[in-house]
Amino acid sequence: METVLSGLATGFGVALDPFNLFLVLVGCVAGTLIGALPGLGPINGVAILLPIAYSLGFSPESALILLAGIYYGAEYGGRISSILLNVPGDAGAVMTTLDGNPMARAGNAGKALSLSAIASFVGGTFAVILLSLFAPVLSAFAVTFSPADYVALMVFAFASLASLVGKSTVKTLLGALIGLMLATIGIDANTGIPRYTFGIPDILAGIDFLIVVVGLFGMAELLTLVEQQVSGRLKSLPVDKSFVNWADLAKTKWTIVRCSVIGFFIGILPGTGASVASAVAYGTEKRISDNDGTFGTGDVRGLAAPEAANNAAAGGAMVPMLTLGIPGSGTTAILLGALLMFNIQPGPMMFSQRPEVAWGLIASMYIGNVALLVINLPLVGIFARMLTIPQQYLTPMIAILAFIGIYTIVGNPFDLMMITGLGVFGWFLRKLDFSLAPVILGFVLGALFENNLRRALSISGGDWWILVGNYKSVLLYVLAILVVALPIYLGRRARRMEGDAV
Amino acid sequence: MADRIFAGAMLIVTLAYSVIAFTAISAPFQYDPLGPESWPRILSIVAIICLLIILWKPDTDEIGVAGQTWFRLAATVVLLLAYGQLYEPLGFILSTILFGTILSAMLGAGILRAVIFGIAAGIGGYLLCAVLLDLNLPQGDIIEALFENAPAEQPANAEGAS
Repeated sequence: METVLSGLATGFGVALDPFNLFLVLVGCVAGTLIGALPGLGPINGVAILLPIAYSLGFSPESALILLAGIYYGAEYGGRISSILLNVPGDAGAVMTTLDGNPMARAGNAGKALSLSAIASFVGGTFAVILLSLFAPVLSAFAVTFSPADYVALMVFAFASLASLVGKSTVKTLLGALIGLMLATIGIDANTGIPRYTFGIPDILAGIDFLIVVVGLFGMAELLTLVEQQVSGRLKSLPVDKSFVNWADLAKTKWTIVRCSVIGFFIGILPGTGASVASAVAYGTEKRISDNDGTFGTGDVRGLAAPEAANNAAAGGAMVPMLTLGIPGSGTTAILLGALLMFNIQPGPMMFSQRPEVAWGLIASMYIGNVALLVINLPLVGIFARMLTIPQQYLTPMIAILAFIGIYTIVGNPFDLMMITGLGVFGWFLRKLDFSLAPVILGFVLGALFENNLRRALSISGGDWWILVGNYKSVLLYVLAILVVALPIYLGRRARRMEGDAV
Repeated sequence: MADRIFAGAMLIVTLAYSVIAFTAISAPFQYDPLGPESWPRILSIVAIICLLIILWKPDTDEIGVAGQTWFRLAATVVLLLAYGQLYEPLGFILSTILFGTILSAMLGAGILRAVIFGIAAGIGGYLLCAVLLDLNLPQGDIIEALFENAPAEQPANAEGAS
């Protein structure tokens, strides 16, 4: 408890610095603006703004605070398009459209937006409080992890990813493998041997993380926009004067609390992010409180449930990212990559070696939550204007922003070709129902996975049995098998029972 | 079918990847039991298994993109590649004006509006990013050449801005 309090004191000392406070606000506004762009989900927004934020040359903690603000803002902006346009920005926002859009159509757009802001605020704050309690404990335990345990942890992360994300297990696994294979390009750090560089000097140091992120997310998104482009603009519902009232809050308070808990703990599982959390929360809430069948027609509880869970999961996903160095979702994978760019290795040592970064980030999440609530309740009408930007201007703007961001990293035009190529590849993956989060997760974790495997075998002198040498790794492998086998078993059983009934 | 084509193409790439891992990569000397080649070998074997499963049981039949859309997508990619190629020679402002105008016109904006958008994006983007945020954007070889040919009144200035 004492470490938590002193850590938080350090963190708020960093985050309340006037310049950093200013950055949180800027990040929240910029994130909300880009997140509100129609069809552009939070993850793509963060991907496009990330290189620009990196090139501004701030100190690591300031840059991370800015990024966290953008991340939060983009998550918030995403729900504006879910509610007003019925176009979810990402998988996590699909559940928000179910009750949010009917509310807006019934003339309660203002109420829907303000209620979702409050639900997100409660979910997000709840998750940050739990995060600050859990993270130091977990990181103290994680210090005892050996390289072999890390290998097991990574296997578990990819197993839960494969079983819970995407439509097909094999495709998710293949996506992760593509990411891992991309990560092997470049000079091997242990022996200095170049791998898969084919003599091209631009990729000797490996493909830059930012290039993969902007290519796979930003540029692939752009191609999707071009493909789906409907002539003219999407029809946006107007923001009216209605506002959330005490009766709504009283009706939804237990929903919000329950779904915050669900969201946080689902978010902690490596690989499962906001999309699983909001779906589970909506389903649970529907079972518990949908007595008169109003869910799906604009019920306030149906809107509050996925919103609270969504944001709680975003906080929960930070737990494995900060304490183990293993991100819980696509977006935290991007934040992890951002940490690595500043030469900060997230993981158990981060809390003892770079407390100002770890706690500064956590404190900025508290502030970011409050800032978003304050910014968004009065200004939502302005952000909603972003929805009416016609596609023919939006698409070139995304490309220009992405090019600026990538060019400013090292000023190499070859990188611009690479993001275009990766964008085409990412577009094909999306069209074939691959989800892109595993690819980025594989890419970020590739070096960590390989190095721990090699280190483990160096310790044992080449004996592979070290991988199952102690209870921690064995337990993780058992969990990995369970997380893959259980859904398959349950699916079979459900099918068999259906078969019996017929 | 689309799945099979994609998996087939990926299989060729992965096979090439694994051939390189099994033959070409090797360290002249090493003390660790696992060298630089071991990890790519493991990855390529698992990836080949996954690809064979997809080839055996594909689940996406076609990707449902109309012929005209293919054309528009291809044109967008060509524009992006051209934009990237011209980024340094023409400089940010000129290349962005060209790219913004052509792409927005192609996507359905009127010519006049497209031109206004392109110019606004090029000049506005440069002012915002290069002047205000002090980011590194290419000034353009052509513009620099013009500066050098012009009577060298303020060479220090031109140098500082690039």
